[in-house]
Amino acid sequence: MNKFISLTKIQVFDFFSKYTQHLNLNNRWLKKLAILIPVLLIIPAFNLALSIYKVFSSIGIPELTITYMYIGNVMMIFFACIPLIISNFFYSKDLMFIASLPLKEESIIFSKLASVYLYLLAIACLFFGTAVIAYGIIGGIQPLPLIIGIIALIMSPLIPMLLATLVIIPFMSIIAGGKRRNLMAIGGNILLLMLILLIQITLTRVEIDPEGFTNLMLQEDGLLKLIGRGFPPSIWLTKMIQGSFLYGGLFILLHIILLYALKLMSHFLYNRALMSFNQSDGGVISNNNIYYKSRSRGFQLIKRHILIIFSNPVFTLNTVLTMLVPILMFIIMSFTGQLNNEIFRSEAIAPYLIYLYAGIVTTPAIIGNLSATVITREGKTFWETRVLPITTAENIRYRVYSTLIISFIGSIILALAAAAYLPISLDMMGIGLLFCITATLLFSTIDIAINIERPILNWTSPTTAVKNNLNVMISLVVRLVIGGAFYILYGLMPNYSGHTILLIYSLISIVLFIAVYYVITRWYIDKFDSIIY
Amino acid sequence: MLVLKNVTKAYDKSKRAVDNISLEIKKGEIIGFIGPNGAGKTTTIKMITGILSPTEGSIIINGVDISKAPVKAKKNFTYVPDHPAIFDAIKGIDYLNFIADMYEVSLKDRRKKIERFTKAFQIYDALPKTINSYSHGMRQKLLLSGALLPNPNLFILDEPLVGLDPHSAKILKDLMREHCENGGTIFFSSHVLEVVENLCHRVAIINKGKLVACDKLETIKKNKNITLEEVFLEMTKNE
Repeated sequence: MNKFISLTKIQVFDFFSKYTQHLNLNNRWLKKLAILIPVLLIIPAFNLALSIYKVFSSIGIPELTITYMYIGNVMMIFFACIPLIISNFFYSKDLMFIASLPLKEESIIFSKLASVYLYLLAIACLFFGTAVIAYGIIGGIQPLPLIIGIIALIMSPLIPMLLATLVIIPFMSIIAGGKRRNLMAIGGNILLLMLILLIQITLTRVEIDPEGFTNLMLQEDGLLKLIGRGFPPSIWLTKMIQGSFLYGGLFILLHIILLYALKLMSHFLYNRALMSFNQSDGGVISNNNIYYKSRSRGFQLIKRHILIIFSNPVFTLNTVLTMLVPILMFIIMSFTGQLNNEIFRSEAIAPYLIYLYAGIVTTPAIIGNLSATVITREGKTFWETRVLPITTAENIRYRVYSTLIISFIGSIILALAAAAYLPISLDMMGIGLLFCITATLLFSTIDIAINIERPILNWTSPTTAVKNNLNVMISLVVRLVIGGAFYILYGLMPNYSGHTILLIYSLISIVLFIAVYYVITRWYIDKFDSIIY
Repeated sequence: MLVLKNVTKAYDKSKRAVDNISLEIKKGEIIGFIGPNGAGKTTTIKMITGILSPTEGSIIINGVDISKAPVKAKKNFTYVPDHPAIFDAIKGIDYLNFIADMYEVSLKDRRKKIERFTKAFQIYDALPKTINSYSHGMRQKLLLSGALLPNPNLFILDEPLVGLDPHSAKILKDLMREHCENGGTIFFSSHVLEVVENLCHRVAIINKGKLVACDKLETIKKNKNITLEEVFLEMTKNE
């Protein structure tokens, strides 16, 4: 077998095998069903594609669904691929082994990107794929646009992935020898993501003079040009699906150019970034400070679990991004003027402000799901706490405490930012925070049960531990189910105020938390003790 | 100090990784635990340390059944695994303080012992550095220093000499002897038969999950003029 294909195959197997490992299900049909859990996300994604399709169909331009969803898809892939590339290239444990094999540098770079690409393609299938299906089927089956759409779907992760690679890897080569390179990696990549968001939002808000706007709209595909002007490949793609060879050629040519650029740069990327990053010693801090200080066991264990996250840039990026993206979006949208106080002061929004506030402050618990990977993150060092003279209940409890601390810090930051921006009263704040506390306790406790069921300690890339991991999906499904139940409950209580409904939600959350906590401390102790590392 | 009563570990019905092992180790003994790769050494050690639960049988450490009172049992021993995989984003000194806090070692004692062991293993100067900058051998020495810190009744070591330079291997062997002279007990696995031969009061040999011998070296050799290697190869050869 060709060396490149063989290497790619093993990289992809390694990357995806963790996803299906340790399902802890004996029934093979249940196993298959469990693997399909992420596919459930297709329901909200298809709904989104459908509503956008309906809007554009109503004005007679359904192909704009493709343009619109493609732009969104590119943004989403940029977000997803930055931590993924860093994890796969710089923090996976296989590079020293691969480096010793008789392989071309470009083969190593491209084989590592292949597993990233497949992961991104799965995301693209959910969001851009549903748009292609909606466009190609709903108005009557259109075979040609459907086939070209599927080709475009296969190509869709390439532009953001290749651009991100061409930016990130040289950046990492600059910080490779630095003493604080992990910190630089985190800071640099958050700045990069902010920059991408800022560029996207700014481009979509470019003011056009009235005459230019009229001229643009008078053109046959004026609206297409208006939507896609910030990212011309989206226009080329739409026209390609409509059957234009010229624009199809342009779209494909851009991909070829980017692939060729990466091939040309592969020598530099491999030697100056990959190898130099992996050869330095990780930024040793030496201040000759040998201290002897006594701390409580709880403090030491909580510190250990928090440090596990913040000592690994991939874990940190994943944590910070999932919890604080609402803040980043909020800040940027405020700067660009898309959000302003007037919107939130309107009469129509007033009854929903308390829900909005509660939702914002609870974001870290809802999206963060840190407890679902708290055992997994330890990886091969899990044995350390197992031999210590602490009870299993303590071992589990301090893990949950560490994730609660991080979640609550995220919530406090969001609570202060939202309180400064939204016109809310003290009682609204109090009830919002009460809901946040109860929901955080509930979700963290459910998540640790998920991780005890599926510990997954043998991972080669940190992304496998925190992202490419069915635990995260299961925990999101749990949130979806609880959220759905709350929504139904909301519908059953049309005359109650937001205050009362949130108090009821908090009460339900705390009762559920007590029940789940009871189950964990009674039944999950033995399961935790039987985790094999 | 350590009693294994009919201990079995079965991962499925057809395969027993450890099969009905019984063993008793007295206070002040050094026991060498040897066997071919995959014989069940590490599985047995993991059961003794509470990392794995036995499918059958019981493990008593200093009179305490580890499955019934794990915390009380764990206060009696420390463990060094066959791989120095430890959380490495912290400094060496952070790790040792962490271990000292877990086993409630007083400040005065920890200072004295940390200085003694880390200076003996020549890693004292590296303590302010993060562990991820340590070599394999340095990590092993850090783990050994941490395990010696609480002065455990029972010291359990899985392949402790792997990765150690000759100087550190000598230091470790001396510390093991000293530990036993002071009333401590040592249970360790090794593939280095010369070390087992020179250091241990008794030798336990495991093959295919079963304990095939556990006695003084002379008794195992049946007082013949043969080496442990020859005995080992004879007892563990494939039928």
